[in-house]
Amino acid sequence: MIVKFLNIIILLFMPFIMMGLIKKTKTFWAGKKGPSVFQPLYDFIRLLKKEFVISKTTSVVFRIAPVINFSAILFAAMFVPLAYGSALINVSAGLIIFAYTLSLGKFMSLLSAMDTGSSFEGMGTSREACFTTIVEPAFFITIASIMALSGNYTFDSLSMLLSNAGTYGVLITLFASVILFIMILVEASRVPVDDPATHLELTMIHEVMILDNSGLDLALFSWANSIKMLLISSLIANMLIPTSLSEWVSILLYLLVMVLVSLLIGTIESGMARIRMSHVFEFIFIMSSLALVVLSLIVARMFGG
Amino acid sequence: MNSYFIGIITFLLSGFVALLFSNKNVKIMVVSLISMIASVLTLIPAINVLVSGQNLLQTLKFNPLLGDVNFVIDPLSAFFIIVISVMSIMGVIYSKGYLKPYIQKGKNINAHLVFLPMLIASMLAVVTCQNALMFLICWEIMSLSSFFLVIFEHEKKEVIKAGIKYLVFMHLSVLFIIIAFAIASISSGSLDFSTFAYVLQHNKHLANLVFILAFIGFGTKAGFVPMHNWLPEAHPAAPSYVSAIMSGVMIKTGIYGILRVLSLVHKPSIFISYFVLTIALITAIYGVLYAITQQDLKKLLAYSSIENIGIIGIGIGVGMLGLAYNHPIVSVLGFAGGILHILNHSIFKELLFLSAGSVYVKTHTRNIESLGGLIKSMPKTAILCLIASVAICGLPPFNGFISEFLVYFGMFNGLSIHNFFAMVTFLFAISGLALVGTMAILCFSKMFSITFLGLPRSEVAENVKDDSSKSMLIPMGILAILILAIGLFPQFVFEFVLKPVSIILGNINISLAEPVSIMQTISHYAFGFVGFVALMIGLKLFLTKGKIDLHETWGCGYDRGNNHVQYTASSYVSPFLSMLKPLFKKVFDIEKPRKLFPKSAHFSLHIDDIEEAYVIEPILKSDEWFLSKFEGLQSGNIQSYIKYGLLFLVLVIIGSLLIG
Repeated sequence: MIVKFLNIIILLFMPFIMMGLIKKTKTFWAGKKGPSVFQPLYDFIRLLKKEFVISKTTSVVFRIAPVINFSAILFAAMFVPLAYGSALINVSAGLIIFAYTLSLGKFMSLLSAMDTGSSFEGMGTSREACFTTIVEPAFFITIASIMALSGNYTFDSLSMLLSNAGTYGVLITLFASVILFIMILVEASRVPVDDPATHLELTMIHEVMILDNSGLDLALFSWANSIKMLLISSLIANMLIPTSLSEWVSILLYLLVMVLVSLLIGTIESGMARIRMSHVFEFIFIMSSLALVVLSLIVARMFGG
Repeated sequence: MNSYFIGIITFLLSGFVALLFSNKNVKIMVVSLISMIASVLTLIPAINVLVSGQNLLQTLKFNPLLGDVNFVIDPLSAFFIIVISVMSIMGVIYSKGYLKPYIQKGKNINAHLVFLPMLIASMLAVVTCQNALMFLICWEIMSLSSFFLVIFEHEKKEVIKAGIKYLVFMHLSVLFIIIAFAIASISSGSLDFSTFAYVLQHNKHLANLVFILAFIGFGTKAGFVPMHNWLPEAHPAAPSYVSAIMSGVMIKTGIYGILRVLSLVHKPSIFISYFVLTIALITAIYGVLYAITQQDLKKLLAYSSIENIGIIGIGIGVGMLGLAYNHPIVSVLGFAGGILHILNHSIFKELLFLSAGSVYVKTHTRNIESLGGLIKSMPKTAILCLIASVAICGLPPFNGFISEFLVYFGMFNGLSIHNFFAMVTFLFAISGLALVGTMAILCFSKMFSITFLGLPRSEVAENVKDDSSKSMLIPMGILAILILAIGLFPQFVFEFVLKPVSIILGNINISLAEPVSIMQTISHYAFGFVGFVALMIGLKLFLTKGKIDLHETWGCGYDRGNNHVQYTASSYVSPFLSMLKPLFKKVFDIEKPRKLFPKSAHFSLHIDDIEEAYVIEPILKSDEWFLSKFEGLQSGNIQSYIKYGLLFLVLVIIGSLLIG
């Protein structure tokens, strides 16, 4: 019971800390001191108190989209195993419900951006929608092949991977983690796919979509976005952490993975610039090719000698 | 069963009864009222069959040529009857509001009102008829009556062109069906489907041949790639409710044909199962790919119908693979997903076509580039269209998700078939369906946002003052409620769908506890989600009361941005198109500004169907060359035509003497 409760606490508040850690890492590499890791949480609370400024062009879609997007991501979280134990709703093919609920959130956020009638937001929206078409199939093929290997079609199959598949398991975990990490970069709009810190509207993707959101709406969008980052990182953590450990050790390990992911994102952001927009596709296509590698590794494990 | 025939005849008569009245509005009222009664009459036996599980059979005695013709309502037919009756009647009710402007212009609608119920009646006959010859007759009536409905605006040249294309494709399709039935009937010595079944189940090669031929024939009707080409032409040409009925219901009779033949063949070969799954995947991806590129609202919806036929086909393909590998759970889930998607697609596609029709009535354009901001003038239509758009992308908590989930779940279960090809195929099919899903999101976020959101892009969109009339909104509202109901109560729908599935599989004698419990979970989840969203929206309204400040959209400091700086439909998809360049044939039409004071300049981009451009056009060209050799035969004088007739008769007599 207490672990379940802890899972929810982590789900809701760890994303802020991850965001703070990314900023902290970036300031560290830049030789600055930087704000505290809790700064995103303070920002969130400050945004909640703010008044709204809403564009005259917008309609009801713009008003409800942040709420639906946030709810969708929160509900999708029910299907992902978090710090310890199985997911809250642990059903076969939960992957589908998870991914499609996330897509509902994305669909609404695309519409809300288009609702403002701004050309910048149209630009960001069209890019975001386009990236998803590459990310999703690669994600599905990766997770589905891991499920095929274990014969278990819930997300529990991720944690069985390392213990059941021997050397192949290590390799598959490695490649799958890279795939999921790239997915974090795309979905949570980090460098090198997107630069959340840029101040030129033309080059933004996610940031420009929420350009006209303010107050509560903006707070919900950014919270939802960081929760999404946590969810995908949780999938990585699930693959890495063995199931046999006691609950507190696994929770600590889980938090460690979250911290490591944030540090890695921060380091990448300090080390490289955003890729040219026309080349981002090529970067995301790495996911697809790695997914095929995972697929062939699993086929080799199951049918080869 | 009697009430079923009375229903069909009532449908047939309603158009003719309407002719007795002179006022055109009354005519439409008469047709809709009588059709409503007729649809209730046909629904009663269908629901009866689904509830009791007992087939209804009636034998009609026709002339010596046809002999005894069996009409049977089994659960598979009953399912299609429900889809046909309910969905068609929505279109008929909607027609009143849609035809209003045409009536004011004094257009003759008599023939239209005769053929509309005739189409419905013929579809109802098709899905119950068990006699091959009678089936073909009804099939032909269906094709012809829908042809006359398509060419409603026959004074327009492109409408006639689309109509002719439709007619040609339909006759190509019927050719394959005739061959399939002829082979089956020659080898069984009868025209009745039940005798076909006996022969087909005992002769594997014959069964494969008949199934492939029937798949091509019925697949053309359904719109499987590469025989899909008529769809994107015929749908935009027809009035919106006719396209709604055609796309929502009529193309499903093609699926019915495939399923019926499958139930006769019973166990398909492994190769054919892979073939069907592959074609279906290609169809789904191809359909949505071109849906993304379209700027014509109805053409976009037509391509998306191709996509959804692909998804239905994936379900059927998965089911067939389950049959072929003897894996009952896979086949149950695959067929259940496919069949449920038939119902789901007919609901949301009909709603989408009807909302496209409402937009067309108000703006007289189907080009979404000149629309925009309609959510402010047509809020109800917009919200209904939004629900349908979310549903067609297969997103929870709506109905599209349920059927796609079943198909996915079937494929996941298929991963446990310990076979190399099966596993790799299912993995690729899973990611293929995911690709289709995300592309559908791209397509419908474009369609909805360019049509309804932002600012009006032209005067026609700006001048829309009010929402559609009640007679148009009510059927749309009913459809939207159905979408939500299926999404919220999937467990009942799943059980409802299992009955038609059992016709294809024989008896289902495995435990379905897992899918049923997942359906229940999804139901709770959907309720929770809807409740949570409602709560959050209420909370947000409460918290933000009086804290909202209206302002211009952020435009980098400029606040005089106008509607022309908005993103257009083509710019919205241009990153996607640039990624997949080789798959499209782009046709640019550019007039660059010249000299110091350019008088005019324009740019337009049009994307051609790659099959149309590289396959159909060359075939037509070579056909023209070949057929031009025979031009001399058409001399225009009657004597020579009589001569041809006589020559033909002599040849037939000699031929029959030689063979006999």
